[in-house]
Amino acid sequence: MAHSKLNTNMAGIRKRERKALLTGLLFTSPWILGFLIFQAYPILMSMYYSLTEYNLFSPPEWVGLKNYAKLFVDEKFYLSLYNTIFIVVFGLIPHLIFALTMALLLNTNVKGQALYRTIYFLPTLVPAVAGSLLWMWLLNAQYGVINQILGYLGLYQPNWLVDADWTKPAIVLMGFWGTGTTTVMYLAALQDVPKVYYEAASIDGANLWRKFWHITMPAISPVTLFLLIMGLIDGFQYFTQGFIFAEASQSIGGPENSLLFYAIYLYQVAFSFLNMGHASAMAWMLFVFVLALTLLIFKTSAKWVYYGGEK
Amino acid sequence: MKLKALHLMLTLVFAVSVVLAGCSGGTGGSQGNSGTQTSGNTNSSSNSNTSTNTNTPAPEKPKEKVKITFWHVWSDKDSGPINERVAAFNEMQDEIIVEALGNQDATKQLTAISGGNPPDIALTYWNNIGPWADAGAVLSLEEFIARDNYDLAQYVPAALERMVVNGEHYALPLSMSMASTLMYNKKAFADAGITAPPETLEQMFEYAKQLTKRDGSNITQIGFIPDYPWIDNVFWPVIFGGSWVDENGKLTANQPANVASIAYQRKFYEEFGDDQIAKFRSGMGQRGTPQDPLLTGQLAMMIGWEYNFAEERADDGPIGIAPFPYPEANPELKGGGMVSPRAVFIPAKAKNADAAWEFMKYLLGVDSQVEFAIASKTIPSVLPALDDERLTKNEAMKTMWDFYERAKSENLQGFPNSTYINEYLQALSEETEKALKGTISAQEAMDNVVKKIQPLADEANK
Repeated sequence: MAHSKLNTNMAGIRKRERKALLTGLLFTSPWILGFLIFQAYPILMSMYYSLTEYNLFSPPEWVGLKNYAKLFVDEKFYLSLYNTIFIVVFGLIPHLIFALTMALLLNTNVKGQALYRTIYFLPTLVPAVAGSLLWMWLLNAQYGVINQILGYLGLYQPNWLVDADWTKPAIVLMGFWGTGTTTVMYLAALQDVPKVYYEAASIDGANLWRKFWHITMPAISPVTLFLLIMGLIDGFQYFTQGFIFAEASQSIGGPENSLLFYAIYLYQVAFSFLNMGHASAMAWMLFVFVLALTLLIFKTSAKWVYYGGEK
Repeated sequence: MKLKALHLMLTLVFAVSVVLAGCSGGTGGSQGNSGTQTSGNTNSSSNSNTSTNTNTPAPEKPKEKVKITFWHVWSDKDSGPINERVAAFNEMQDEIIVEALGNQDATKQLTAISGGNPPDIALTYWNNIGPWADAGAVLSLEEFIARDNYDLAQYVPAALERMVVNGEHYALPLSMSMASTLMYNKKAFADAGITAPPETLEQMFEYAKQLTKRDGSNITQIGFIPDYPWIDNVFWPVIFGGSWVDENGKLTANQPANVASIAYQRKFYEEFGDDQIAKFRSGMGQRGTPQDPLLTGQLAMMIGWEYNFAEERADDGPIGIAPFPYPEANPELKGGGMVSPRAVFIPAKAKNADAAWEFMKYLLGVDSQVEFAIASKTIPSVLPALDDERLTKNEAMKTMWDFYERAKSENLQGFPNSTYINEYLQALSEETEKALKGTISAQEAMDNVVKKIQPLADEANK
């Protein structure tokens, strides 16, 4: 008797759980279906296409790993990779340092703090295309404000958007303008650092630099890790600004292909040359790069990221 | 309890059916793909004829109008001339209604065609025809041409050749853009004491030096920039009598004439300085605005297209025009220049290819092209139109007269259309740029191009 009662109870619970599960699935089904149809399916198909020759019109033709093999002998593939890594290395790290510096300044207790914070965030709200067009004016070699300032200072005035050696630095320079989101995240992280640490350090006689290096940096290291990885992923997909800048020189890769970023080359292979198979292979290579670098960062993060005071 | 179970079952069925619908959408795509295969077989016009006949209840309404869609690239602002043509065709006969849709750039056309839902007829830039035709997206016109004994000899040869891929006509040209003209600032010439435009390229180089002014090391006015408004990897070799591919499918971009055309351009950079030109150039006003460098005199000479300075090049205007100079050693190349037509084509999966062909014949006919030329100030692609008095005696078209005359030149050329055309053009641009900057020699640059693209050409010729 008792046994059978228990059994029905169990069944009741199981039924309820199952019902909850189904209801849950039902309510999340728009997202799940959307993911399956619009993301998982295309992702898997691109995997398949990467092993075929496919031009959108005629059915894909199986070629095995040929598309991947072709990449490794394609000098433009390496060039685009170099351009992209340049932006990631010389763009991302200086931008993080800049954003952290701004956050530290905005975190100090000054009059009109809220106003400053708003002002420094504003440029981030400008759409990438509009911002790029604006910067093309600023960077104009002959009449641009930046070169005029450099002229007053008696410094070298580069042909920013025309000289292949200066196009990428120009893009990095422009990037400083859009670091508002990063700054805000650092700002939030800074405000989370417990004040007691600083008090203790002050009692021990630590100076500002020591406090920054031994308290602030470790305390905000999880945010740095997050920003580093997100920045890396963004950097490898760098497209819009390079595309707009290159348009000024009437060619898709900019002067001497100095703005041919990986994503832009992929776009060219796909939509200008109609090599969807080749382009899909490029997309998967990109995925592999980003994955490998992310894992590498995660690996090293054990050494420099602290969670609640522990590594 | 049972009722709830039923509810659950129903919702589940619903959910599953949604999934299946999604799947069927997916397979629909692949069905579209297999459709391409079959459309290759059903290309023949007789087939599509019968299909339209069976679709329409013949006995009741013998004259059911066929509706076809025509996509073109012009925006609302600029689509007046083409809309006039469409309206005229719709009025002229009562079997076909054409609906025109503008702003359909290459990407949109590509999406529609690959998605299996193309327009019946479309207008695009000529260089799309090669890759699209190779991919099976464009209907070959050979059968229509043979069936109707359609006269291809009336077309400007250089314009018609652009429509040929692997020996077949896949499209026909509606008007053409042409660069065989030198445009110059009259005042800059007068100030420099130059009385007549240069005849040869060697003269042009000398004039360019005379027309260039400096303030210290900075250029304040320049005679000529060979890669303004862009690096033209077709125009320059044409001027020097070059070519890109021979009958055997061997690429010829590194032959002497092509190399000479790049070396000539490099001379300007050596003369005026790479950095100086780059810097001066970035400060030049924007093309087509009142600050256009040729108008302001910042730039004294440029390669001219028929759409440049349509008003300013009048007799009493600030801009002068002349035939583009030729190499002194090759007077037979006089009157040379580049032609880039707009291509009208029928997508492979068009539902009403026959009606589309009727409209195409009308649209590209001499009368229609004359009217189109008047409305849009363009150059017709058919030879009889070039001598039509509605154009040549029409005072309103005066600034076009020289262009109509030059459009008859036998030295007009264009880039050969092919399946690898976009890769070829891209490689030419990239390597030419290096040669212009002096990173490598002109010969090295063109050797690189051939080395890179010959494998693609071999594959296409297989």
